[in-house]
Amino acid sequence: MKSTRTLKAAGLVLIAVVLGMLTVQGSYALWNTSTGANLGTVQAASFQVDLADAVTGQHTNMTTANGTAATLALTTMPAGVIIPGDSTSATYAGVQVTNLSDAGGDFTIRATTSAPVVRTGSSLAGSLVIKVVTATTLAQCSQADTFKNAVPNAPAAVDISKGATGAFCFQITLDASMPANLSGQTAQIAIPITVNQL
Amino acid sequence: MNKFAKGAIATGVGVILLVGGGGTLATWNQTNTASMGSVVAGNLNLSSAAGVWTNAAGTVVNVASYKVVPGDVLTYKQTLTVTLTGDLMTAKLSVDGATAANGFDTNATVATTFATPDKPGTPVVPGTAVTTDTVLLPTTTPQVINATTTFTFKKSTTAQVATNASVNLNAIGYRLDQQAPVNSNNL
Repeated sequence: MKSTRTLKAAGLVLIAVVLGMLTVQGSYALWNTSTGANLGTVQAASFQVDLADAVTGQHTNMTTANGTAATLALTTMPAGVIIPGDSTSATYAGVQVTNLSDAGGDFTIRATTSAPVVRTGSSLAGSLVIKVVTATTLAQCSQADTFKNAVPNAPAAVDISKGATGAFCFQITLDASMPANLSGQTAQIAIPITVNQL
Repeated sequence: MNKFAKGAIATGVGVILLVGGGGTLATWNQTNTASMGSVVAGNLNLSSAAGVWTNAAGTVVNVASYKVVPGDVLTYKQTLTVTLTGDLMTAKLSVDGATAANGFDTNATVATTFATPDKPGTPVVPGTAVTTDTVLLPTTTPQVINATTTFTFKKSTTAQVATNASVNLNAIGYRLDQQAPVNSNNL
């Protein structure tokens, strides 16, 4: 009797142990810890270049709000007609270029003009003599001496550091060979300016 | 049957009955103290000191106000203190929460590396790289590991791509994981 009860008890214990082993299966965790680096947020600078008319002072950002290239109509000086072949009969214009980037470090740009394009009055294109030079001040734009070494239609370039300005001056004259039947016509000249980060 | 026999038989039966009635028996026993001593747990800890950002020129910058441009490389350096104790303790160090330079798309990269400190002298002996495969061992005093995170704004970025972009790097951290000892239990 006693031995029978003993055997029964032993049998029950054995089962319990087996169950315990089965339910303990799964992954185990070891020690681990972590700490933050507290790096913060890195921000990119803007790429803002301002153009200003030498005569009117009108400003525009080179890029419009929708990301397209802006156009700045320059006022010529002096106003009036240009006489073909007369070097003293010229009209001038100028634009100031300002590097407005908020870059944290050095950020120098190079502004470069491209070949002038006559948009209207294209018949005058062959007679227009357009010179583009760089200058340190806009006041130089109305002085003939500023252009004495310039090559017609040649590009000009100026490097402008962050927060600084540069200037392009334009001189337009008429070639002496301009046909007389073109007298009285007007022309609109577009001069592209491209700015690149150096 | 005489009286003596009857008495003896009665006593014998009584004695037998007493013996068969159970009860505990006391046998020799002895106790002794095991003197096993104390079991002390080891330690695993990781802490980071404040870091410093510098630009490619080596100038310390405040990332909250410094604006990057294509070609910029910002470097963040900070020291980590690793505490490992335990006779079978080993651990590995890794970067936690690493992120791509999201606001910059593919125009910037973020990378973190670890190394032991340079050994001063003439010449200075550069520290040894600590990778995610490097097994760190216990030391009697906490060990220092230098963490370096580099943000690179690719110079090949064109037009006005990623101007005014930003990337939040605050999710990046460091993780220290104990490695399982040989013959470890599964409890």
